[in-house]
Amino acid sequence: MKRLVFLSLILSTLSGCALIDAYLMTKYDPNEYKIISEIRTDSNRYKTECANPLLSPVNAVGIANKTSLFQNYSENIPYNTDGFKAATSLNEIAQGLAEKYTKGETVSLAFCKIKYGSIENSATVIQHVIGNKPR
Amino acid sequence: MNLAEIDIALAELANCGDPAFATAAAQVREMTKQAIAGQLSPVDLKEVLADMQRQLDIIQDMNQMAFKEKLNTIINGLITIAGVV
Repeated sequence: MKRLVFLSLILSTLSGCALIDAYLMTKYDPNEYKIISEIRTDSNRYKTECANPLLSPVNAVGIANKTSLFQNYSENIPYNTDGFKAATSLNEIAQGLAEKYTKGETVSLAFCKIKYGSIENSATVIQHVIGNKPR
Repeated sequence: MNLAEIDIALAELANCGDPAFATAAAQVREMTKQAIAGQLSPVDLKEVLADMQRQLDIIQDMNQMAFKEKLNTIINGLITIAGVV
């Protein structure tokens, strides 16, 4: 009973918006989880193909298309402001690499690897949280 | 501030004791080292540093979402208890 009162007191200190957002938050979505898992897996593999001049431009456009899909998918999920913001940031990281190739600029090996590392790390963080959404 | 001075400042940050700052500072330091060695152009360095900021934003957004997930579990638990009592 004491614990219940304690929890109620904590909840009463939170803003109404935080409570509503938390209560109405979208449940676990297997499609959302699948897309972010693919982004993580692809970026991990593409990082090893940075030195391949034939594969790396195709890979960069491929990962940018997937992060764009993830951003669009997240956009209209209700009560998903944080998810959409994270998806937007992830897409910005990936688009930066694809733009270099589409503009015909020289992409260094270090830049390519750092980019995929950033995408992979971010996708891992997002995947962990999306996987823990209430079922 | 030139790249060498930035590298010194990052080395100090990397040893500050805070694990989150230390990891971020170590990653940025590695990038500036590559820039000094000529492996990254200043334009590329600017882009990967902007990415670092984006990664920190993602961590912040996901912490917020993880907090709401926990809150959701608590609220639903309280509703269940209230229904039983």
